[in-house]
Amino acid sequence: MALPLIAQSFVAAVACLAAAPAASDVWQGDQNAGSLQFVATQAGAKFTGCFRKFTVRFDFDPAGPPSGSLEVMVDLESADTADAERDGILNSAEFFWTDRHPQARFQASQFRREGERWRADGELSLRGIAQPVAVLFTLAGPSRQLGMKGTATLRRLDFGVGQGEWSTTEWIGNEVEVRFDLALIPADARP
Amino acid sequence: MPVRNTAERYGSVAQILHWSVVALLIVQITLGKIAHDLPVGLDKLVTLARHKSFGITILGLAAIRLLWRLFNRPPPMPPMPAWQRVIAHFNHAALYALLFAMPLSGWLMSSAHNFPVSWFGLAQLPDLVAPDAGLAHDLEELHEAMANILLILIGLHVLGALKHQFIDRDGLLWRMLPWRSR
Repeated sequence: MALPLIAQSFVAAVACLAAAPAASDVWQGDQNAGSLQFVATQAGAKFTGCFRKFTVRFDFDPAGPPSGSLEVMVDLESADTADAERDGILNSAEFFWTDRHPQARFQASQFRREGERWRADGELSLRGIAQPVAVLFTLAGPSRQLGMKGTATLRRLDFGVGQGEWSTTEWIGNEVEVRFDLALIPADARP
Repeated sequence: MPVRNTAERYGSVAQILHWSVVALLIVQITLGKIAHDLPVGLDKLVTLARHKSFGITILGLAAIRLLWRLFNRPPPMPPMPAWQRVIAHFNHAALYALLFAMPLSGWLMSSAHNFPVSWFGLAQLPDLVAPDAGLAHDLEELHEAMANILLILIGLHVLGALKHQFIDRDGLLWRMLPWRSR
């Protein structure tokens, strides 16, 4: 009865692998865990900026049922486009209005598989407006870390980002792509 | 008018290239000056975007001109003192150099500022350097200084042509114009 024995040990090995990761399914990270970038369009040319300060909390078990929660808090004042004048405009009331809305928050609790990727349907609150946003990502691990890499595409004008003359989509694209590449660690792990 | 240059005058291709660049430079210098004086805002973004598109156009035309010139020598200069010949050659070489250096420094500057260049919204050009605020500032100074040198050299070039036309009366200007010379 060699075959069933092999099959049994295989099942045991898989179960062992699945059980091996951290006891907690809660993962977290901040700017030190990786990058949170945005790709926007000015005068027909795409450019990339990033947020230097943010936190991610991800309560999710990739091997378990697709339930959990993802929360991302972004310090909007930390937006960095490598140009001080543009960063200043981004902070102004016409764009992020950081005086009144210093943070953006993404919250999702619905997850589903889409081929190789995961899709999280959630809500982004930005500049005082909440709108549904979908985030697509892949996961690597979990091991000691949980790799999380993906994108979300949103329309800046849905959130009133770009008031007055800046609402033109001819010179400033409406679509903004958000990209992230993170290595999250268990929330209960000591840094 | 012949397409290629002859011993007496420039051909139609060289003339069209020369006068297109003249027209574009007038637009370009005007846009550059306007953008320079505008406060930060959408108008500045739009003016600079157009300035970049025209600049890239000039860069393309300059490359075509240089290639055309390499395979199609310009008509020889009329008799003139050696020092004038030297100055004319130097000025032409410097004008050509600036036709490349101006758009290239502008393109570099755009990359360093993280404001990549799009040619009239039709195609995005690759960035030449990574974003770097310090480098962007230095390139800005260079771009402006070269613009001032370009204006002086254009002035010399025009004065030289006018001197030949109205003082020497050697008909030099007709070589770059489509009408029959007198």
